[in-house]
Amino acid sequence: MTAPMTGLAGLCADVRNELIEEAMGRGMIPLGYTCSMVPRALLAVGTLFPVRMRAPGVAGTECADVYLSSVICSYSRSLLEFALDGRYDFLGGWVFVACCDHLRRLCDNLEYNAKPDFSHTLDIPHRGGPAALEWTVEELRRLARAIERHFDVDMGDDAVRAAMVAEGELVDALRELGALRKKPQPPFSGTDYHRVLMAAQSAPPARALELVREFREAMGDASDTAPYRARFLLVGGSLDDPAYTAVIESQGGLVVADRYCTGSYPWLDPVDAGGDPFVALARQVLDGNRCPRMMEGFAQRVNYIVDLAREYAADGVIIQSIKFCDTWGVEASALVTALREAGVPVLRLEREYRQSGEGQLRTRVQAFIESMGK
Amino acid sequence: MGTPGIADYAVTSKYKLLNLAVIALMGLRNGPYDMVRDLRRYPWLWHLLKVNRLIDKLTAGRTGNYREAISIIVHGVTKEVVDLLDGIYFRQDRLVLHEDMVPPEILRAMGLSPWMPEVLGILLPMLEPSAMEEYIDVAENEGVPADVCSLPKAVIGTALRDMLPPARAVVTSNLPCDGGMTSYLYVEKMTAAPTFRLDIPFNFKDERADAYFANELRRMIAWLEEHTPGRIDWDRLKEICEERNRMVEQELELWDMIALRPAPLAAEAVFLGHLWFMNVCSGVPAATEVFRRLVELAKENLARGVAACPDERYRTLLWNPPTMHFIDLFTWAERAYGVTCIMDSMSFNRLPFIDTSSEESMLRGIGRNIMNGPMARHTRGPMANYFDDMFHIIKRFDIDMLWMAGHIGCKNTQALNAIMREKCRDVGVPVLIIDYDLSDTRIVPREGIMTQVDSFMENVMHAKRRA
Repeated sequence: MTAPMTGLAGLCADVRNELIEEAMGRGMIPLGYTCSMVPRALLAVGTLFPVRMRAPGVAGTECADVYLSSVICSYSRSLLEFALDGRYDFLGGWVFVACCDHLRRLCDNLEYNAKPDFSHTLDIPHRGGPAALEWTVEELRRLARAIERHFDVDMGDDAVRAAMVAEGELVDALRELGALRKKPQPPFSGTDYHRVLMAAQSAPPARALELVREFREAMGDASDTAPYRARFLLVGGSLDDPAYTAVIESQGGLVVADRYCTGSYPWLDPVDAGGDPFVALARQVLDGNRCPRMMEGFAQRVNYIVDLAREYAADGVIIQSIKFCDTWGVEASALVTALREAGVPVLRLEREYRQSGEGQLRTRVQAFIESMGK
Repeated sequence: MGTPGIADYAVTSKYKLLNLAVIALMGLRNGPYDMVRDLRRYPWLWHLLKVNRLIDKLTAGRTGNYREAISIIVHGVTKEVVDLLDGIYFRQDRLVLHEDMVPPEILRAMGLSPWMPEVLGILLPMLEPSAMEEYIDVAENEGVPADVCSLPKAVIGTALRDMLPPARAVVTSNLPCDGGMTSYLYVEKMTAAPTFRLDIPFNFKDERADAYFANELRRMIAWLEEHTPGRIDWDRLKEICEERNRMVEQELELWDMIALRPAPLAAEAVFLGHLWFMNVCSGVPAATEVFRRLVELAKENLARGVAACPDERYRTLLWNPPTMHFIDLFTWAERAYGVTCIMDSMSFNRLPFIDTSSEESMLRGIGRNIMNGPMARHTRGPMANYFDDMFHIIKRFDIDMLWMAGHIGCKNTQALNAIMREKCRDVGVPVLIIDYDLSDTRIVPREGIMTQVDSFMENVMHAKRRA
């Protein structure tokens, strides 16, 4: 592992990493968020900065299981476990989206057991269109007003626009970096890129930008990824542990593109900071998001994956979802059929939030690669 | 408990004969050839023919007006099911599949024939406990995770098996849960019918949500006018809403009576009527008539000092949908322990009436009823909605204990069980969480449910089983 990679791995390994400590030391306030439908720019105004909620290294969820039950996805349970352990006490607050049953109930259980100082739930419609856009704009304005009141931060249009510009620079840098994965022999692995993405979601945007640039410089133009047998597009919901990607790549796979909530999509879609910033952010949330919690647009979601696989010359698609996730559970079943009909080899995997069942994962990936004749 | 006498058996026999007559007339209307074809096309119809077994199940050991009330409800359901089936047989060009959180009142006012795909998953297990299991298996074999609620899985399975009637259109929503919402991906695919999706806000208790959802309903109407021969008839909608309001008036009167101890009617006489008539055919005069008769029977019992359950020892609030494949749970529990189900979370609501003064007020009223519907406000809204109702019902209906029908596939409620236990402990209300699956007897059979009740009653309530 190269020096920048060692640093990135360290940042991913701790929910309260050194960059967060450093920022807090300068008086900055971290705000947690759990869904890619939360516009990060709204959490990055003034002294605030967004932190993607994770539970790296969670050993078990015994206490959270009591409250959330064992049939709730282990991402939600892991977050509650960490919250009950006081591991998120450093946060200034949480911003949720009423995105799925599991995270909504996590929100309820947090309110009951470990009420954050600041907690706000965005009510984002389950479809697009003018009425939904209007509703979403108002939801974002309400969030902005709540933040302004609680943290005494200027959330006016200019301040939000400035945050969008800063976020845009980070997003551009990450997108340019990600595009290098289209090369036949990319300069870094999918695991490396996953680490970069996770580190970038665990630091103030300006500091994250420095990290991305340092990484890009260190990589140079070399094409030094290990020989691989098959290129993959990795699809699914929340996946914040690069070790999962590493296991796939340990079997001769190379993850060249991704479409999962904590990955480069939909985060890295550019947003126009001109005009009304709240409208622009609302458009990104509604129109840019191709999450299965949106009721309409299954065909577009399939096409997006097929196009992405072609653009990055992926040999196959791996769909991963956390066990008990209803939206991805049902969507993935239909997606498998649709992708096969489109001639795209596909492997579907269920997993737990924390890294487990490594041996099974290896076997499934090996078999998938062999089934493709690679 | 009383022992049914000749008069009691005469009452149930009468309604059984009426049921057979309704079914026979349906066969005659449809014609023998078409009827045989339809029985082959939709094998689930065979289960519906077992309706009289349901009367036997639900009236076992029950007497007098309570027995009659249940027979009236089952007969009323039979008539309405046959009417819905007529929609499949004779009005196919106007048939619309609608999810259980989409208001059928509007479809009826548009001259369309509604058919709710969930209706099979609700009705069939009552008639034949394992009826939905083959469809659940079909969904799971397709790759739908086993942990998804068995009701949407049953919908997916029936869609994959081509058991849904061919419809002009499909209307669904983002309620009541993620599993329910996503299941329509398969309904849309398998029926190849144009599909419309209603969006219902998470924060629904304000003017902004009322306006948003009313607009959604207008969008739905416009879309249906574009894709079906249906046309909105506002006068007809007004009639339907007014009829619904009359039914609600009756129901509220019934609730006032069952709040008294002992209750003059209980269990299925309360929740089965609401479950079917309010959700599937509200605004239909026959449904109002059923409630009017229930009120009459309850009044008679009150006047004569007759309790539904002669030995009403424990008044129970049932939370979540009733145990469909063990629908006679309370028929048994009344005899075994004197446990009476007084109210359930599916029936209770606080926003009953629809203002029919204008088109907008009707849409807002219908919208508010959907948004505040039990599955909507309990499984989607913040937990305050859930617990405020729970403790309001406990107080208003003088409840002794809470039975949570802990359907394993209902992740929404599973995730609140611990908080519920703690809150109930704080106010001294004993809680039984019944582990089971709504539509799949293989998870926990009826005997397993009875064992759980036995353990709770003996260990927590220190009650002895009598039967």
